Formats: sequence, structure tokens, C-alpha cells
Amino acid sequence: MDPFNILSPQRERPRVVAVAEKTPLETELETAERKLSEEPTDEELLLAVGESQDRQAFNTLFQRFSKKIFAMGMKLTRNEQLAHDLVQEALMTVWTKAPLYDLDRGAAQSWIFTLTRNRCFDMLRKKKRQPQTISSDDIWPQEGDADMSFVHEEQGSQAVEIAQIERFYTELPVAQQAVIEQIYIYDRTHEEAAAELEIPLGTLKSRLRLGVAKLRVLIGVEQ
Amino acid sequence: MTSAKYHPSDEVLSDFAQGKLSTGMSVALSAHIELCQSCRQRSSELESREIVSWLQADRAQPLASPDFSGMLDLITSQPQLTIETKKTPHSEEEPLVSELHMLDHSITLPRVLAKAASRGLVWHKLAGGINQAQVQIDNETQCEFLYMTPGSQVPVHRHQGSEVTLVLDGGFEDEFGHYGPSDFLVRDKRDQHQPSTEEGCLCFAVLDSPLTFTSGLARLFNPINNYRFRRATSQRF
Repeated sequence: MDPFNILSPQRERPRVVAVAEKTPLETELETAERKLSEEPTDEELLLAVGESQDRQAFNTLFQRFSKKIFAMGMKLTRNEQLAHDLVQEALMTVWTKAPLYDLDRGAAQSWIFTLTRNRCFDMLRKKKRQPQTISSDDIWPQEGDADMSFVHEEQGSQAVEIAQIERFYTELPVAQQAVIEQIYIYDRTHEEAAAELEIPLGTLKSRLRLGVAKLRVLIGVEQ
Repeated sequence: MTSAKYHPSDEVLSDFAQGKLSTGMSVALSAHIELCQSCRQRSSELESREIVSWLQADRAQPLASPDFSGMLDLITSQPQLTIETKKTPHSEEEPLVSELHMLDHSITLPRVLAKAASRGLVWHKLAGGINQAQVQIDNETQCEFLYMTPGSQVPVHRHQGSEVTLVLDGGFEDEFGHYGPSDFLVRDKRDQHQPSTEEGCLCFAVLDSPLTFTSGLARLFNPINNYRFRRATSQRF
């Protein structure tokens, strides 16, 4: 694969596994089957929906997830009408928020799961006429919120993680290694790193995005 | 940061990840998870497990599938969020109260509790050096910040339902142990206990039904306590 042709994640086919760790065999098999049959992965579909409002891709996601969302709704609300409403609300959120999804946010299945759980939680709160002080977003803050207080603490276990990451890091394409080195090791801003490497800012960002996503996959598979 | 000694069970963490718990209980868990790295890891593992079984659910047990046709066109006719929206994910119109000022120091609240306290805390004095500030989170639980002044003791009581206590600052002890910052305790109706504190203690507590005081003059509080609970859980229209 040409390491410099990474602007198009659809073509790159990132190997994102269903969930970060303890992936059961079945899920792995399913992912493998999809790959063999050249069916697009959930991540590819979601990126296509976000980047170009691809209705065909959304249709496929709709077919793959609507029954699962209905099942979650039945389990949590025990009410067919609410479960039906949840399918609409959750998939509406998938459509409207798809531009905010990127591979840094992890597997598409996890993204859709948390979004569905949160919609359901807020739907039930509304139905029970609860005060609106707290919403699902407060209870399950999204990863990547800049001001999460716990991001910077606990050095001890981080050292272990860094040692692990270093092993996988060398498996990345050189161009992605260079970007990750600039940002995470020299602690440069995106702009500084782009200037240092003499590449456009957009290229830097997509290399970073893909590099980090790949690292996560490598680490997840390893565990 | 001191690490917690008392943690929620896997069962509770898993229910939390699935969104099965009341809002009050979920807030207590979210706050503990922000303070406790091991529960943060454990809860994301359990969430992953839930996601896997969710993905397999409709294969194991095919549901009578309702008709979702017609939804597609409605959904895809909606405008999507733009990247500009992404840059300002949530508007910051109301600054969060994230610090509570104690006598000689101040503490930073976990985010979800800062949000819960954002309308301001009104403290009431209860028996035995206990101060209570209720917050309206849902109508199924009673949620409150409790401040026990140094040397104070809560009257012996029993719970009708369960009570979750998250220690935020200082510490207290009862017949079962000593609890410090970030500790997460669950007491249910089998447990009768009498918390006391030497150093003073700030907690966040969630009750899913009223307390019953079991000794002496404190029984006088029972009707009042029930009344408070009913008021806290009555629906507001």
C-alpha cells in the first residue's frame, strides 16, 4: 500500500475491530467474512455518510442496525412504541452526527451503541418528566472532551502503556510514524508539526487520525 | 489522588454501561468512575462485553420485525451537523460550579456532580452535626450532598431500599470499615449502621427509598424523613 495515499480512508479499509478488546471469535469471523466478500465495514459506511451524505451507505447501516436498536429499546423500555421511536431517534442521530465521527472515536459499532443507549436514556427521562439538570452526555462524557479532568492523571500505568505502544508504533507506515512522533513525543501543535514535516495541515491531520486508529487496532488485537 | 478501596460491583457497572440504572444512581457511578482509574477500565471492558452481546442479540432471537420503512426518507432529508458545530461541541453559556469551598480548603467536584450542583446548593442542618443539600436529579431517587462536621455521628439507621454513598472529601467510619475519598459504598436494607467521622466528611449520596432511624430520639425524624423523600420524588409539572 502506498503510505502517502492515506487521504481516502474508504480505500484504505482500516481494520477496526468491533470493540477494543476481548473480541470473541464470532465477531472476528464476521469481520473477516465481510472483508473477503468485499462488503464495506461499518466504519467505511459511517465515514461515507459523514463525508458525502451517502444515502446508499446510510441505507446499509440502517439495515444492519435497525433491528438491533429495536431490541435494545425493547430491553430497556419494555414498550414497543418507545422502542420504535428509539429506532427513529437513534438512526436520526447517526445521520446527523455522522460528520463528527472519525476513526479516533473507535469502532462504528461502539459509537452507535453508546449513541443509542444515550438517546434511550434521555427519552425515558423525558417520558418520566424528570428535571433536565443532567443528561446522558453528562453521565457518559465523550472520549476526547478536552477538559476531562482524568486525562492527565495517573502516570504509573501510562508508562506501561507507552512501552506497549512503542512496540506497535514501528509497525506503522513511516509517514504516520513521523506525524505521531511530532505530536505525541515532541508535543508540537498540529501547525508546528505540519511546518516541520513540510506537509499541508490537512494531510498531517489525516495521517495522525489514521495512525492513531491503526495503533488502537494493533493494541486491541494484541490483547 | 488517593485511590479508592471500595468499588461498585461488576453487576452494577454493567447495568450502568447498559443505561439500566436510575439517573441518580448513574450520576453516582459516573462520578466514581471519573475519580477511579480501575473502575474506569473495568467499566469500559464491561461495556465492550455488552456491545458484543448486543451485536449478537438479533441473531440469537429474531424479533418480529416491525416496519421501519418510511423512516429512511425522513431521516436522510434532515440536515447533518457541520464541522463548525463540531468545533464548539457544547455551548458554555452557564459556567459550572466545580469547586466546593470547605472551611480551610476547597475541593474540585467530578464534572457530573458539578453539573448537578450548578443551580446552587442550599444546605440544611440535620441532627448530629450533619448538613444536607438536596439536588433534583430524577423522581425515583433522593440525591444529596452530605457534609458531616468533624466529630459528628449519624443516628443509627436502617435503609428501606439501597443507599449509595460516594466519599468526596475527608472520611467516615462505621461498623464495617473506614471510608476515604473516592470510595463507593452500597448499603441495603439488611445493613443497619451508624456512621461517624473524626475528620469531617463530604459525600454524595443517593437513596432509592427513605431511611429509617432505629434508635432513640432520632425516631422523631422518621415522619419528617418520609415527608422529605416524598417531596423530593414527587413529580413537578
